Amino acid sequence: MRAADDFGELEMTCEEFAMTGLDLGTAEDDGLLQKAAREHLRECPHCAALHENWLALRQDLRVLGAETAEVEAPSRVEMRLRQEFRTKHKTVKTQRAAHILGWSLAAAATLFFAITWVNWRLHRDGNMAKTESNVVQTASSQQKSGPASPGSVSGGSQLGEVLVASNGSGDFTLLPDSMPPAPEDATVVRVQMQRAALEALGLTVNEEHAGDWIQVDLLVGDDGLPQAVRLPQTATETTN
Amino acid sequence: MQIESQERDDALLKRSTKGDELAFTELYRRHQGPLYRFAVRMTGSSWAAEEIVQDVFMMLVREPKKYDVSRGTLGAFLYGVARNRIMKHMERSPRDFSLDESGDAGRDSHPQLHEQMTPARWAELRERRDQVRAAVLELPQEFREAVVLCELEEKSYEEAARALDCPVGTIRSRLHRGRALLLAKLEMLREVPKRANACRG
Repeated sequence: MRAADDFGELEMTCEEFAMTGLDLGTAEDDGLLQKAAREHLRECPHCAALHENWLALRQDLRVLGAETAEVEAPSRVEMRLRQEFRTKHKTVKTQRAAHILGWSLAAAATLFFAITWVNWRLHRDGNMAKTESNVVQTASSQQKSGPASPGSVSGGSQLGEVLVASNGSGDFTLLPDSMPPAPEDATVVRVQMQRAALEALGLTVNEEHAGDWIQVDLLVGDDGLPQAVRLPQTATETTN
Repeated sequence: MQIESQERDDALLKRSTKGDELAFTELYRRHQGPLYRFAVRMTGSSWAAEEIVQDVFMMLVREPKKYDVSRGTLGAFLYGVARNRIMKHMERSPRDFSLDESGDAGRDSHPQLHEQMTPARWAELRERRDQVRAAVLELPQEFREAVVLCELEEKSYEEAARALDCPVGTIRSRLHRGRALLLAKLEMLREVPKRANACRG
């Protein structure tokens, strides 16, 4: 097809008219084309009839367009869409909140376990320090009372706080409020008991091992009451 | 908060994506009319048009990131989505449209015609309109789009080209073909006399 400038001589074929001539009188109408098309309409009855029919059809199309010119989507569509919008964004908010809550709980749990572990470590270290100080105290007391002979009772009532036997060679720890019995009146009795039972004898027991079964040598006086205790070495190692 | 009427679509969409229902509603009200009318004219069915408009905006709610600002306006994007939905609708039910389907503004929507014309003339016009509507709905989709946009909606070629995301020349040629098919379907061409000897070309 020719460009608009080519229609300077106002000549247009039927084919060209069919392509551009039907736009006559519309916004798409071009000045030069308009002149050429009008000239062609005057000369060609076929295209003139075509143009006339087209104008009638265009009028029908405009009427058809005008029928639906003001129609809009029913309001129920907007309602459905808004409902969907709310649901979608509510779900997103819920998911976000759940996400934040999950992380918060995880962080809180981690913090709780960290604090618990630190407390446990501090408590354990404190107990160990206490036990060590008692051991030192016991050792110094034993040094003050002189070297112990086999079968004799070492220490006094102040040693009853912690049961300590330095070795299995026969050292006895005197029970609180007991007098050291004469060797000829005493009898050594080996018994198995729970460590907690030592507490009944006035001795301090590590609570963590209170339920352990241990073997204990009791120095029993002639009245049948225990006066001192001794732990064999294997039991001593687990006392603390 | 009041939404300024001149606020741009992408700004509204941005707010809508963040959960601002007012922005989404404004966006919907701004675009639903043209989209609905286009769908009604393309499908000939108000029910189908309603479903298509709903699908288009449902997509905007669920997947707003499908719209890329750099690729064009939101209006053109929504037109494109609507065209795809219309095509799917046509594939699903190609013979769904009929002469009886006239949408929300049905065949009795022109009271002025009642007042001005005799019953016989009114019946004649109604028949003619039904024929035109059927002829438009029977056009192949690409020609129908051009006819609907340029003749029924009276958009310029440039506006139609933007809506259909194609060159103006394509619109012009589709429109030419669509017009010829319409004239042929309506048997107007039979009234055209044989080419006169004087006719050149």
